[in-house]
Amino acid sequence: MKKPWIAGIALVLAMLGGCASGPKFETVEAGLATAPANMARIYFYRSTALGAAIQPDVSLNGAIVGKAEPNGIFYVDRSPGNMEVVTGSEVEKKLTFIAAAGEKRYVKLAVGFGVLVYRIIPELVSEEEARKEIGGLAYTGGNPAPPK
Amino acid sequence: MSTFRLGACIVAAACLTGCASEVVRSPASFTPAAGATRAQIEVAEEATVQSSSGYTRVLPAGSLWELRGSIAQGMAYRRVNGIFTVEGAHVHEAFIVISSGRLVGFYLPVEQAYSPAVPVVLKLK
Repeated sequence: MKKPWIAGIALVLAMLGGCASGPKFETVEAGLATAPANMARIYFYRSTALGAAIQPDVSLNGAIVGKAEPNGIFYVDRSPGNMEVVTGSEVEKKLTFIAAAGEKRYVKLAVGFGVLVYRIIPELVSEEEARKEIGGLAYTGGNPAPPK
Repeated sequence: MSTFRLGACIVAAACLTGCASEVVRSPASFTPAAGATRAQIEVAEEATVQSSSGYTRVLPAGSLWELRGSIAQGMAYRRVNGIFTVEGAHVHEAFIVISSGRLVGFYLPVEQAYSPAVPVVLKLK
C-alpha cells in the first residue's frame, strides 16, 4: 500500500469506534438498586476495545440480556440456580455456572481471535479480579439513580 | 502469499480454533453436605490437574475449598476464595472431587455430572 498510515488510522478507528457510551461504572455504582435478597446479581463486562466491531448479543438462559460492547458493563438480577451464558459470535462457547441468592457473579466477555475475526468468549471471574477492571468501564445498563 | 497457501492457513486456523473437545462427563447423583457450617480445606502446595478434555487447571497454594456435598466418586468441594472452572468446547463451573486424599475429578453442578481427571495427590494444610 502506498499510504500505510491511512490503513493504520483506519485500523485504530475500527478498534475504538464502537466503544460503549455511558457513565463510568464507578461513578454510578453507588446509585444502582440493591439486588433483592432472594436474587443473584450477574455482571457482564468487556474490558477492552480490541475487536470493537464485533459486538454480539449476550444471552443468559436463552434470553438476550445485553450486548458485548467494548469497555462496557451491565448487570441483571435473576432467581438463583443454574446459569448458561452464550455470546452470538463466530464460535459459540458457552459458560455454565451456579448462582445463589444474594451472590454476585462476574462474567468477563473476553476477546479471542477466531479464524478471520475476533470472537467473544464468556469467562467466569472472581469478584477480586473483576473489581480491578470494571471501575472505569461505561455502564450500559438501565438508568441509574444519581450517586448520593 | 499464494492463494493456495492462504487457503491452507485458513483451513488450519479453522481446525485449531473450532475443534476443542467437549468435557467428558457422566451423570452423577449429588448429596448436599448436611448442616449450616461446611468444612473447609486449604491447598498447601500448588497442584496442576489435567481434565478429560486435555486442558490443565492449577489449584493455587492457599486456595480455600468448601465441602458442598458428595457423589459416588468422592467428596465435592467448591472454591471459596476464587473461581474454578473446567474447559473443553465450553466452560463449566466445577467442584473438585477428592477421594482418599487425591483429586480424582470434577463435579459440574449445572450439568449434574462427573468428569474424571488424571488423579493428583493434594497436599492440604
